[in-house]
Amino acid sequence: MTTEVLSPDQSKKDRVETILRGFQINWMNLRDADTGKILWQYNEDMSCPDVEHEARVPKRILKCRVVSREMNFTSVESMDKFRLEQKVLFKGRCLEEWFFDFGYVIARSTNTWQSILESAPESQMMPANVLNGNVVIETKFYDGDLLITTSRVRLFYV
Amino acid sequence: MGLLSILKKLRSNSERELRLLLLGLDNAGKTTILKQLASEDVTQVTPTAGFNIKSVLSNGFKLNVWDIGGQRKIRPYWRNYFENTDILIYVVDCSDHHRLEETSYELAELLQDEKLRGVPLLVYANKQDLASALPSSEVAQHLGLHLIRDRTWQIQACVATDGTGVKEGMEWVCKNMPIKK
Repeated sequence: MTTEVLSPDQSKKDRVETILRGFQINWMNLRDADTGKILWQYNEDMSCPDVEHEARVPKRILKCRVVSREMNFTSVESMDKFRLEQKVLFKGRCLEEWFFDFGYVIARSTNTWQSILESAPESQMMPANVLNGNVVIETKFYDGDLLITTSRVRLFYV
Repeated sequence: MGLLSILKKLRSNSERELRLLLLGLDNAGKTTILKQLASEDVTQVTPTAGFNIKSVLSNGFKLNVWDIGGQRKIRPYWRNYFENTDILIYVVDCSDHHRLEETSYELAELLQDEKLRGVPLLVYANKQDLASALPSSEVAQHLGLHLIRDRTWQIQACVATDGTGVKEGMEWVCKNMPIKK
């Protein structure tokens, strides 16, 4: 009888595949955080790493004093050190970065993470026509050091 | 009072990252309180099958509020989220007479946990708009709050669905945030 021994790389790869198979972003939205009103919502899975998703967001979001970004995700697998790195990129340059450690994720759980932040003062805000199509929200999901998936959403201001 | 203004009040605290933990039985109103603090629609709240986190960032200061589902099957996982908690907020449905004992038991378990030792406790006595709701003083008695010696605590009557009392509770939170060095 032989026992198959997986190399560390292979077992990491298998683990990522298992997590990813059971991982899904259920929805994402953007809100005016002063009023709590949703300005944009997307109900399809944006965790698919091979596709850059597009979001058409109303221009008036740029006038909001406080904006929230929210995502809801489901994981079939439990994770011990779930964390996320979110970047807002303008023409590939990082304007803003957010790290978040969730820690434990319960098997078969649905969870929501909302980040609320103040906008730049209006005087420093780039106009919609400059930002349009040049802003990408990139979210990387990890379990410890294992990168599970990357989600990229390109913003268009309409 | 929104989450951003809470964070601004807390900025005098030397810690740059603050953590509030919201617990209680299922259907107590944890998620509704959290949504109320963010001025969001509270009519569509569904049972939390995991956690909801709101994180607020202002001038490099961060406030994270963790709302963990209260269903029986989720409760064993609560412990995974105790680390680094600055304030514990416990929500009670005061109209749920049948489960007063259960909620008292769960709170007692929390208060005995080493990781939550000394962490200030705010109890929201929720659903005060319902005719069958016990007043907060009676709930405090059931929970044995007067016996607590190892931390500061407060009970706040509230109606999460319309926001009554929620702000007052958060004001207490702001005043009682432990100063860390």
